[in-house]
Amino acid sequence: MQVKLAVAVTVLAGCAAASAAVFPYRFETHTLANGLKVILVPMPAGGLVAYYSVVRTGSRDEVEPGHTGFAHFFEHMMFRGTERFPAGEYDRLITAMGANANAYTTDDYTCYHLTFAAEDLPRVMELEADRFQNLAYSEQDFQTEAGAVYGEYRKGRTNPFEVLEEALRATAFDAHTYKHTTMGFEADIAAMPTMLDYSRRFFARYYRPDNVVIVIAGDFDPAAALELVRRHYGAWKPGYQAPQVPVEPEQTAPRRVEMPYEGRTLPLLAIMWKSPAFDPADPRVAAGLVLGELLAGDASPLYRELVLERRTVQRLLPAFQPSRDPGLWGVIAMVADEGELADVEASVTAAVSTLAAGPVPVERLEGVKKRLRYSFLMSLETPDAVAGALAPMIALSGGAEAVDTLFATLASLTPGDVQAAARALLRPERSTVAVLTGRS
Amino acid sequence: MRYLALAALPLLAIACTATRPSPPPAALAQPPVLLPVPEDPTVSFSISFPAGSQMDPPGKEGLAHLTAALMAEGATTRNSYAAILEQLYPMAAGYEVRVDVEQVTFTGRVHRDHVDAFAGLLLDAVLRPAFTAEDFERLRQRTESYLTRTLRYSSDEELGKAALYAELFAGTPYGHLPEGTVAGLKAITPEDVRRFHRAHYTRDTAVLGVGGGFDPALVARLQRELAALPPGRPALPPAPRPQLEGRRVVIVEKAGPATAISFGFPLAVRRGEEAFYPLWVANSWLGEHRNSSSHLYQVIREARGLNYGDYSYLEHFPEGGLRTMPPPNVPRRQQLFEVWIRPVPNDVAHFALRAAVREVERLASEGLDESSFTLTREFLSKYSLHFADTTATRLGYAVDDRFYGIAPPGHLARFRQAMAEVTLARVNASVRRHLRPDSMVIAIVTENAAALAEALANEAASPITYATPKSPEVLAEDEIIARYPLRIRREDIRIVPVEEMFER
Repeated sequence: MQVKLAVAVTVLAGCAAASAAVFPYRFETHTLANGLKVILVPMPAGGLVAYYSVVRTGSRDEVEPGHTGFAHFFEHMMFRGTERFPAGEYDRLITAMGANANAYTTDDYTCYHLTFAAEDLPRVMELEADRFQNLAYSEQDFQTEAGAVYGEYRKGRTNPFEVLEEALRATAFDAHTYKHTTMGFEADIAAMPTMLDYSRRFFARYYRPDNVVIVIAGDFDPAAALELVRRHYGAWKPGYQAPQVPVEPEQTAPRRVEMPYEGRTLPLLAIMWKSPAFDPADPRVAAGLVLGELLAGDASPLYRELVLERRTVQRLLPAFQPSRDPGLWGVIAMVADEGELADVEASVTAAVSTLAAGPVPVERLEGVKKRLRYSFLMSLETPDAVAGALAPMIALSGGAEAVDTLFATLASLTPGDVQAAARALLRPERSTVAVLTGRS
Repeated sequence: MRYLALAALPLLAIACTATRPSPPPAALAQPPVLLPVPEDPTVSFSISFPAGSQMDPPGKEGLAHLTAALMAEGATTRNSYAAILEQLYPMAAGYEVRVDVEQVTFTGRVHRDHVDAFAGLLLDAVLRPAFTAEDFERLRQRTESYLTRTLRYSSDEELGKAALYAELFAGTPYGHLPEGTVAGLKAITPEDVRRFHRAHYTRDTAVLGVGGGFDPALVARLQRELAALPPGRPALPPAPRPQLEGRRVVIVEKAGPATAISFGFPLAVRRGEEAFYPLWVANSWLGEHRNSSSHLYQVIREARGLNYGDYSYLEHFPEGGLRTMPPPNVPRRQQLFEVWIRPVPNDVAHFALRAAVREVERLASEGLDESSFTLTREFLSKYSLHFADTTATRLGYAVDDRFYGIAPPGHLARFRQAMAEVTLARVNASVRRHLRPDSMVIAIVTENAAALAEALANEAASPITYATPKSPEVLAEDEIIARYPLRIRREDIRIVPVEEMFER
């Protein structure tokens, strides 16, 4: 079967004008009586359908001491089956339909996703609805999966970026659960096999229809799909209990952490600032996307100076991802030599000062806006890409409307807005610098 | 004879008196690979050359990679690299290069609003690279740091795979990573790069591919301009035919709490050949990449929780940790059968290796059973839809078809046809013929290498204990696995300090 590209002609319109409606597909949002939200995005996709179940719970929700990493661990447990479809049977059915199935966990949400042939949508819906409502696993399965999670942690420990991230979060946050990574603290991971009862409470508290959004994109009939959703999810009982996520107190002074790394790596430097909570209508959030590009994008003066001309940095990455609660954003650099760390840090600081000191030229700002819009639209090639692009927006805001709202906010940004955001948000007292150096 | 000579005279006269004829316009020797998708508002590009790392001169390992990197990430005679990035930026487009042992492939994708400007930049990169001293140093340093820092110390899984390839293909043109060696990179000069570009980027070997919503005029322009490449058809080295006798082990000694394991052996069957497709069914059952249906995954991760995943391959599959589906543009004349065991705790490394080798041997000797065959065939019939779900990826497959000599409608169509026709008997016949695990290379990244070498050579028992209860079936099988013979001789085990990896 030929999978035709799904970027419709409407994409052209979206690219041509800074229209408020950037998302190129019509979508429907329905909310069941139990609170389950369903977003249907029919699009030409050569007979493929993507099915995303977005649970608005991530490591942010791990508020109880000793349970860091649990949202991610629970993602693993969701593949352990139900009474009706035990794990082996679930696997066999997913295998038989040749679905591309996986899951991931972030700070703010957990996402289960499958892509498959359209004819298998009824079966997929039956299986997904069943495991979200009737998950059942033995203590033995639970403990075995804890071993696999520990294996995933070990795999990550050889990656210096993961070690840097752990140190950065622990330093930047005092109260909020963003203090730990999605993997969690090692001691908590090691203790996971003893937490069977807690896992059942976790499921009962968070895996509820009023905390889940289903996204279906691709070749399907929306009316028939909605009917299936009602049939399979209608009896799911609501009861989501929102956690009391601690509020991070205002940071008042710069922070810094220097982290040794057991292996040998080029030094890593992260210069981050506290960011605002995601709100697609907040100009500061949209300005953050622009600031990332202006500060450390491929066409930024800093990239030219540090990577191309002085060659003191091998990789320069803007990291301005939005987060549900006030989080962190900034710049990460892989520095060519330990002796250059201070200079690189000073260059980043100087670039920030420049952005705060005066408005960016209008044509530069418009170039960034165009880049962000084209990048987004060009990424929407397949049903999986479309649902995957919507998932974080939905998880952070609750709905797919956030996409158009965010791009409308972006379109309306003025150089003054960007300068104001740089001044207000990229201040030294909001910053945390993390430096990782390996063995020489 | 005379008649012929007289008859030829007037023509000769005309030829002599006319203005000097221009030679026939140079052209690409190979027709383009075209994949039109009119409703697609983007255009995908592919330009490939047989200029991979097997062409590196001895002592200059890394030359092919560095040359291609400088073309894709360096200045041209018309623009500095910074100016190129500046122009690409508002298009949200870019071009990149993949360098493997055989092929170098430049790819890019752009919205058709910008197609002409983008094509100009891509053509400049291929035709007019500047190879400036600044770019040369920047990319050489980056490659060296990838070898000496990232690969040696930051990714044991990739290190294990690299050690497997280096050992298995030692002494052949596939015997070093495309990125080269530290010594090779140090020896390369900018003049080497220029010479390599002139010799290996030729109009006789270039394969142009265009997909998506392109205009025929674009193809004509690309063909016309690429025809300015010099002629030439550099001789390829013979395809490596590694001969293994028994089992060889290379242990890369590196401190750390976990052990990475990869093992494999040469495979004498390639994409497009009849035996390949039934063999794919067996391999998919054994170790479908990033898929819990993999039997190895079930045995090592699902039942025992020893690691994050366990997979097997019939074709080279780079960046396995980053991608779910096989990548295009890494075609090879010689493939290997490969097993990837993701990191396990050091104290169960011997056990995990035994468990994996045992499963491969069981498959080789027993083949698939009817129900496994039926399920796997059903799986692949639909799963293959995901192999190439974008125009750019399908274009990549079509370009690879050219390499393998697979006629249209190509490998993917043949794959799906084969799944409809394959039988259990053919699967098991392919397994018997091509899966020969008696000889293999095993690469292990671990600390306490000497102790592990001793245990391997002595076939020491490797009993396993769990922090959590396991079923009686699992425990009974563990007894067998813990004493499963790996048949490795002490003289076939080599320990390499990690500091020496990729040095020369």
